Amino acid sequence: MPVIPDKDQQNTAGILITLLPYAEGELPGKTQGMATDRKITFTDGSALITEALVRSGADMFIGYPITPSNRFYAYGQKRFPVFYPAPDEISVLQWMSGAAAAGKLPVTATAFPGLALMTETLNMAYVMELPMVLVITQRLGPSTGSATVGAQGDLALLNGIIPGFPLPTFCPAGFADCWTLAHKAVHTAVNLRTPVVLLTSKEMVMTSRSFDLNKLPEMGPVARPKPKTGKGYQPYKAGDAGVAPFLPVGNSRHQVRLTASMHNRAGRIVKNEESLAVTRNLAAKINSHAAELAEYAHITTPGARKLLVSYGVSALAARDARAALAARGEKVSLLIIKTLIPLATEIFALIDTYEEVFFVEENLNGQLQEIMFGKRPPDKIKRICKLGSMIAPAEIVNPLAAQ
Amino acid sequence: MTAELLSGTKFPFCPGCGHGPTVKNIAKALTACGYRPLDVVLVSDIGCCGLVDPLFATHTLHGLHGRSPALATGVVMGLNNPGKKVVAIQGDGGATIGLQHLLEAARRNTNMTLIVTNNLIYGMTGGQVSGLSTNEFKDENHIADEAPPFDVCQLAHQAGAAYVARVNTPKSITEKLIEAFATPGFSLVEIASLCQPYGAKKMAQLRAWSREEVVLRQAGPVAALKVRETETLLPESRVLPAMFSAGVPGRIGVMLAGSAGGGVQSAAKLLAKAGILAGLAATMKGEYPITVGTGFSVAEVILSNNEINYTGLENPDVVIVVTNDGLLKARPRMGAQARIYLDSQVDKPTDLTAEVFDFHKVAGKKGAALAAIAHWLAVSGLLPAAALRTAASKHKYGAEFLKIIAAATELAVVQQEPRMR
Repeated sequence: MPVIPDKDQQNTAGILITLLPYAEGELPGKTQGMATDRKITFTDGSALITEALVRSGADMFIGYPITPSNRFYAYGQKRFPVFYPAPDEISVLQWMSGAAAAGKLPVTATAFPGLALMTETLNMAYVMELPMVLVITQRLGPSTGSATVGAQGDLALLNGIIPGFPLPTFCPAGFADCWTLAHKAVHTAVNLRTPVVLLTSKEMVMTSRSFDLNKLPEMGPVARPKPKTGKGYQPYKAGDAGVAPFLPVGNSRHQVRLTASMHNRAGRIVKNEESLAVTRNLAAKINSHAAELAEYAHITTPGARKLLVSYGVSALAARDARAALAARGEKVSLLIIKTLIPLATEIFALIDTYEEVFFVEENLNGQLQEIMFGKRPPDKIKRICKLGSMIAPAEIVNPLAAQ
Repeated sequence: MTAELLSGTKFPFCPGCGHGPTVKNIAKALTACGYRPLDVVLVSDIGCCGLVDPLFATHTLHGLHGRSPALATGVVMGLNNPGKKVVAIQGDGGATIGLQHLLEAARRNTNMTLIVTNNLIYGMTGGQVSGLSTNEFKDENHIADEAPPFDVCQLAHQAGAAYVARVNTPKSITEKLIEAFATPGFSLVEIASLCQPYGAKKMAQLRAWSREEVVLRQAGPVAALKVRETETLLPESRVLPAMFSAGVPGRIGVMLAGSAGGGVQSAAKLLAKAGILAGLAATMKGEYPITVGTGFSVAEVILSNNEINYTGLENPDVVIVVTNDGLLKARPRMGAQARIYLDSQVDKPTDLTAEVFDFHKVAGKKGAALAAIAHWLAVSGLLPAAALRTAASKHKYGAEFLKIIAAATELAVVQQEPRMR
């Protein structure tokens, strides 16, 4: 098995692919010659994410059933060393917060209605600086929408769910991403002491695919930092990386105070400049690591002036569209963004190098585009959006070919 | 020793507030039970009782309104250490908004103590009534709400709490807290509490407005963390080696439509696996109503010589329909290019060109979908029958599936000329 390679690895085709050893559309297929050492299995994104989370050291799954995260619940019950069925989504995240405060790395999976109920507690966990992973499987909304119809409609909410503060959000754009980004989610949760979201969609986690297990990098449990805690340990005193060393409640060495309210470094509820600094650091500790958190695939076509920008399931259609356009002689590059929050400055820099940029998103009006360029974007920024079903490659090809 | 549990921070409560004595009694009872500061995790709620955590020298968690029992439940799950004492505290408002959490902790007999300080009102927001405000209190204060209060002690007891007590007399608080702390499992102590600005100003008033004292005990298993050894979701045994060759030209999309309970999803999955065994890339997705036991069941399979990115199937190349439920879903997707196979039980639209076979007759209701797949593969030659047989043989119903495949293959030979109706 390959190991997770260094970021920004260049392959021989000059394609910049971060983190992953290969991109989804570039797996060796039959036409490229059958590999004899492949271990093809028939699986789904839910299984890959669940397996990767467990191998990365996540301790327990706490869930409340909801479509289309059903399989996470089923797999969680089967695979996690500890599983708890909670009576509602508020309980889910409260239980997770308590377990995280006590030193465990809990995981849940839900969809928008569950996330809506979790919102207050998610803010609590964020302010308490508790590591945990939430898998959000997007479905058609608003409201209960249609539970069995896929969508990419939750990014705008996640971008503001901790109002004004970044909640690290990774978005797999293929099965290999399901594996590696699940690992990165655990790594980020532990090392930045924060809840982390894996943003998926119905299509990504419920459609089964043939997949080569040999393409999955090996992974082991993420090491939990063991802070040196002399006398005077303070649960919110940031260390060198901007992150406060974590000690669980219940430990026998130092008192630990955790609170959802504005607090000083000692975890006491105080309204003063020190407490404001602790509050500001909630954002700073994540934003200052934006470059390390950044995952994307920039698939370049020499001479291309047009760029497709996409994420998640729509990125798969965008891959096919790019190939179809190439077959017509149209030069188009593709940028697949896999770390949606925070957005690294290098992403903007890449986009700046193109003359026309098309955001491909399965939602009403381009949530990523709006986050990046606002409601009145520059003329070169365009949107290809669709509500109610996946965007087909032809629906991407046609607007570009007509240019 | 009691002082060791307290931080020495000045109490923030109003003069005469019941929370002060409650805090002191908690410390006293914990000390009596032998707990040292770092043996205790105190979980506080929102409201005036949520001001208690700085007063303790223990570990403290200060969370959200009504959620302290749930947060404490999580702490118990995470610690998994009976030597540590987890104590949650909330007011009557918190117990109202978080009633589900309280009941759940009791139902699980979570090893923790919940203290509900009931001063009959929301003190922090101006004296509004809670779900635990008694009608005696409301009548005296001319509050027009006749709904009776929750009896949080009875509710917790009925839900499974190991120990429950209601205390209306300050001198009994320590005793009841010691009993609660010493009881394994979930214990709850409801403490009547004065609120000088908005509630009862004197103990006589408070006693008159409160429910009667009660102690309820029951034996039951205490929630314990179960850590299991589990097996990988990606076992080597499920690897599907390419052992056959396929005649699929590029990419082919198949739609299989039938009814719930008709084995549509299983048959589609076998088709996908057969494709993989023949060296193809495959995807498969299912669609069915949320009432999974009735109505349509539709599956889409894509087989390709190349890796598959986009998994949509707007225009299936092959549509196989085995029931009328399936026809309703599949009909709008039957493009002019699609090859269509129908079961003879399906009411074929007169304007539809299709080939009709007796799949049900061959394989029954539960096997018709698989029979149709086997038949289509036999007549099309896209995948060898051995690939489907190999995929089917790995299934727990493999023996039955193999019989169906054999019969369907035979059917294909017998009925080389499709009959139209």
